[in-house]
This record gives sequence, structure tokens and C-alpha cells, in this order.
Amino acid sequence: MNKSIIVENLTYRYGELVAVDHIDFEVEAGEILGFLGPNGAGKTTAVKMLTGQLHPHEGKAILLGYDVVKDTPKVKAQIGVCFEQPNLYEQMSAIDNLKLFAELFSVNDFNGFALLKRVGLAGREKDRVANYSKGMKQRLMVARSLVNRPQIIFLDEPTAGLDPVSSEAIDNIILEERERGATIFLTTHDMWEADKLCDRVAFINQGRLAALDAPRNLKQQYGKRSLIAEVASTSGKIEKKEIRMDSADTAGAVENLFSKEKVITIHSEEATLEDIFIKVTGRRLSE
Amino acid sequence: MNLKRIWILIKNEIFHGPKDVVLVMSIVMPVLLALFVNLAFGNIFSERAALGIYDTGDSQLIAMLESSESINLKIYTNEANLMSAVENGSVDMGIVIPADFNDIISSGTVNMQAYVWGEIPSKNLVIIGTVLTDTIYELSGAELPVNIETVALGDESIMPWSDRLLPLVVLMAIFFGGMMIPASSLINEKNRHTLEALNVSPASIGEIFTAKGTVGAILALFMGILTLIISGQLNSSFLSIVLIMALGAVMATEFGLLAGAYIKDMNTLFAFWKFGGLLLFGPAVVYMFPQMPQWIGYIFPTFYVIKPVIDLSVNGLGLGSIITNLTILVIIVIVFALVVSRVVSRLSTRALRLNG
Repeated sequence: MNKSIIVENLTYRYGELVAVDHIDFEVEAGEILGFLGPNGAGKTTAVKMLTGQLHPHEGKAILLGYDVVKDTPKVKAQIGVCFEQPNLYEQMSAIDNLKLFAELFSVNDFNGFALLKRVGLAGREKDRVANYSKGMKQRLMVARSLVNRPQIIFLDEPTAGLDPVSSEAIDNIILEERERGATIFLTTHDMWEADKLCDRVAFINQGRLAALDAPRNLKQQYGKRSLIAEVASTSGKIEKKEIRMDSADTAGAVENLFSKEKVITIHSEEATLEDIFIKVTGRRLSE
Repeated sequence: MNLKRIWILIKNEIFHGPKDVVLVMSIVMPVLLALFVNLAFGNIFSERAALGIYDTGDSQLIAMLESSESINLKIYTNEANLMSAVENGSVDMGIVIPADFNDIISSGTVNMQAYVWGEIPSKNLVIIGTVLTDTIYELSGAELPVNIETVALGDESIMPWSDRLLPLVVLMAIFFGGMMIPASSLINEKNRHTLEALNVSPASIGEIFTAKGTVGAILALFMGILTLIISGQLNSSFLSIVLIMALGAVMATEFGLLAGAYIKDMNTLFAFWKFGGLLLFGPAVVYMFPQMPQWIGYIFPTFYVIKPVIDLSVNGLGLGSIITNLTILVIIVIVFALVVSRVVSRLSTRALRLNG
């Protein structure tokens, strides 16, 4: 597969603070990469370097074969960026917001109405954005990031604080864009979203890459799978019992449980990306 | 720089840019100020320049001046009445035509003495001088040297307030719009984070700054010309005046872009305007009070905008007379253009944050 993003030794400092500390990674074309980390971990700075907003102090980023610093216009022409914070022209209508960016990207066959329909904003195209709800604004920002049919889409917390309907609409668009062949760079600290959507996730902590792999592989490497059973003791109290699923005597332990205890409920439990992040970095994603 | 993208951004700025108090003030305030100054002190509804004449002989000059539509001519029967009329401002200028005037104009050089009202508006002085010279040329049939020696009557130091306030009105028109429109637009975009969105599109920071600066400069130039028209000071040096004003508008825009790049919010911008106003309007204040040493004006960059404009419009000088100030103005504009370009370069890479 082609590499959409190649990052080598990328570093950025704010004075003495090293915000991004010599990170290296690659992203395949058509891949969804989750970029996970707590606030202040260096996610936004890394994305700003990848999108040409900041020039790295060391290292380089190659997007679609172009050096982001040397070929910034060529890179910008082929990427779409959706920010976490709403940054739309609120006094303008949704369709005018999209038209402005379509003109800047020189998209000749732009169909803003179709794009707005795709993000669930049909019928509200000519409303002033100031009158939109947070979810509608977020969907409009996702739409704006797609006006130039980008090869790489950077999405920064696209579903943060949204209602389930808006979140699902955005998740579906991410998957559709992946189907189209776009590479998705998803910055988030929502482990569930990352687990559900991402082919691979990168953990970033204090500017460094702590881990990078598929969620399943990370769970296998760092996590544990268990069976959690609720059993009634002789005194009538409910107790929890845990059986590791990946050990040699799992089958015997399960048999023993059912033969000796009064099992009320039993279910399997898998490590979450949050658990693994804590294990790898010693910090919580939500810090 | 991509001209197509700059045009797209200019259109967006015009049609969808902030329609806020800054825009209203940029358009309304200079017009109101110009109207007020000219209604209260000067040129609107005022009569044409008035020339008083006492003819000791029987010159054909009077008949020719009577046909002039540029001035009001008043005839006096003795010199004392003429001087009294000049002293009390009934006429702007009074001349005594010697009995042998017709012989004088055939001798080759015309020397005349003119009494001038101390508060004569500069424009009227220029108009009367021009009409007199043209009429004498016509009378003699040749371009004779005409020397008019002026004697001020009344308080010579009193300059009409319409003239005194003109630099303030013109500087206000150019610098409020030219500076505040791009500055407030940039600050709004920073606060609303839309600048960040533009910055990941193909539009470069340089193109964004150019578009905002262009809108500010055009508005500033338009408002500057409008205030001169309202003040009745736009004369035959129109193109030269527009050239100076255009350079002034560019300077104002450069200040505005720098302010917009560094200032975080509108409150700070207005505070900056209040303080910066002292620097911007310093030359106008100095001009307003002729008792002050006029060299103080030289230290302000805006002096090199307003002095040439006043020289061309009010004092009736030609482009050649203002070439030194014009050269200094061009140098100032170039220096600030380099500073703006340096800031744009830093914004485009790493040093400054775009978010307010």
C-alpha cells in the first residue's frame, strides 16, 4: 500500500517546552489512524505541523509524497481539516460557507447542496450558521473539510460533546470517506470512538509516541480478557469473581465455578483502550 | 500570491465581512465631521471668494473681472472703504488699481498691492490670485510677470477653522477606515478561529492579509476623497492628491494589519486607537494651532501624508513642490510594507499564534 503520511523525527518546541518530541510514524492510504492522548499531550501541535500551520523545529512530514514545509500549497490542496472548535462564518449561510472554501480550493463542479444533504443538513442550507445547534455546526465543519474531496482528512475531536445522532452521522461519513479511499487522521480522546473506527491507534503522551498499533493488537499485547461472574455466597451476599481467559487453566476454572458456586450472572470483559493507555503511559486519556 | 484567491477573499470581506460599529464609524464619522466643520466654519453654502476693487483710473480690468464666475466682485469708491471692507471680512482681498494701470501692463511687469483679510480661507486666496493673473494675461495678451504684494489686515495669525480642521478631517477619513477595517477584521477572524480555517485552505496568510488590506485601503482612499470634496478642496491637482491619498491609505492599512496581527481583542484595539490616535493625528493638531512650532509635525509619519495633500489642495502647489515629502512618504510606506511582510512570514511558519 502507498504511504499517505510519513513522519520522521518530527519535533516542535514552545520555548523550553518540547510539545512534540521526535515522533516517527507512517499512515497507509485509506487507513483510519486514531491519534489518542490527553489534553496537552501534543496532538494539536502535531496536527498543526502535518497541516502546514506550523513548521517543525526538527524532522519532517511527507504527505502524499510532498514535504509539508517545502510544498505547503500542494499539501493544502489535497487535505481537509475539521477543527474541534467551531470556526465557521456564523453570519453566513451554510451553503455560502461551503461555497467560499470550494472557490478557494478551485472546485469547479462543487455541489454544496448534495454535500449538506450528506451530513444531514438538507433543508437548512440557507440558514445563517449562527442559528445552528452545536451538532449542526460540527456536521457543517465536517462537510467543509470535504469540499475538495481530500486525499487526507484531519478530524480533531469531531464528535466531542455531540448528541448520539450527530455522532453517528459523523462516524458514518468517516467510514464512507475511508471507502472512497481517503486517509483519515482522527484526533480524539474518546477511546470508544477510536476503538470503533480506527484501523490503528497511536498513543501520544508528553509529546512522544507511546504506542502505535491496531486496537486489537494493543489489547492482546497490554490487556487481559476475563470472565466476570456474580455469585451468591452462602450468606446470601453477591460477590464478583474474575477468571482470566487466556491462561492454561481457564476451562478448569470455569467448570469449577459452575460446579461449586451459585452463578447469578456471567459475562466476558475486555480491556479498553483507556486501560491500555493507562498501562502504557501511567496517565488517563481524560486528564 | 494568487490573484484569483485574493479576489475571492476580497468579495467575501465586502459581502460577508463584519458589518459592525467599526465599519459604520469608518464611513459615517469622517462624513459627519467634514460636514460639521464646513457647515460651522466654512465652505458649504458660503459665497464665492470676494474681491474688492478701488479703481483710481478707468481700467478695463474691472469689466473683465465682473464677467468672472469664480469670484464676487465689489467696487469701492475710495481706499479707506476698501481697507475697512477687507479688515472686517466683507471681502477676502482688496486691490487698488493705479490710474496708469493700462500703461503699466504694456511696460512688461505688473506690480500690485493687495490687502488680504487675516482669516481668508486658503482656497479663496488661491482662487482670487489665479483669476487676477489670468485676467491680466488676457488683458495684456501676453504672459506678463504679475507680482502681487499682500498686506494682511485684521489678525494675520487667525486661520479659518475650516482650514485648520481640514487635516484632522482628512487624516480621520483615511486612517480610521484604512487602519481599523483590516485590524478589526483580522481580530474578528482570530477570535472566531476562522483565520485558522482559511490557513488550512490554499489561501496563504499573505493572500488573506492582502485581501483585507485592499478593502481597507480602498475604503480609506474613497473616504479621504469624499471629505476633500465635502470640504471643497479637490482642485485641478486631483490626480496628484489621489496619489498621495492612495499612499496614505496604504500606510493606514499597513498599521491596521500590524495591529490586527498582534492585538487580541476589540477592546484592546479601541484602547490602542485612543493612544495611537495621538501619534496618527499629531500633525493635524500641530497644524490646527499655528502658534505651535510647526516642525513638531515632521516627527509623525502621517505628516508626510497630510502636508502634501494640504499643499496640493489648499495651498494650490504643484507636484514639484511636494516631491521631498512625497519621497519620504514612499519610503515610509515601503518600510512598513517590509515589516508587514516579515510578520506575514512569521505567522505562516511558527512564531505567532493565529488564535486570539
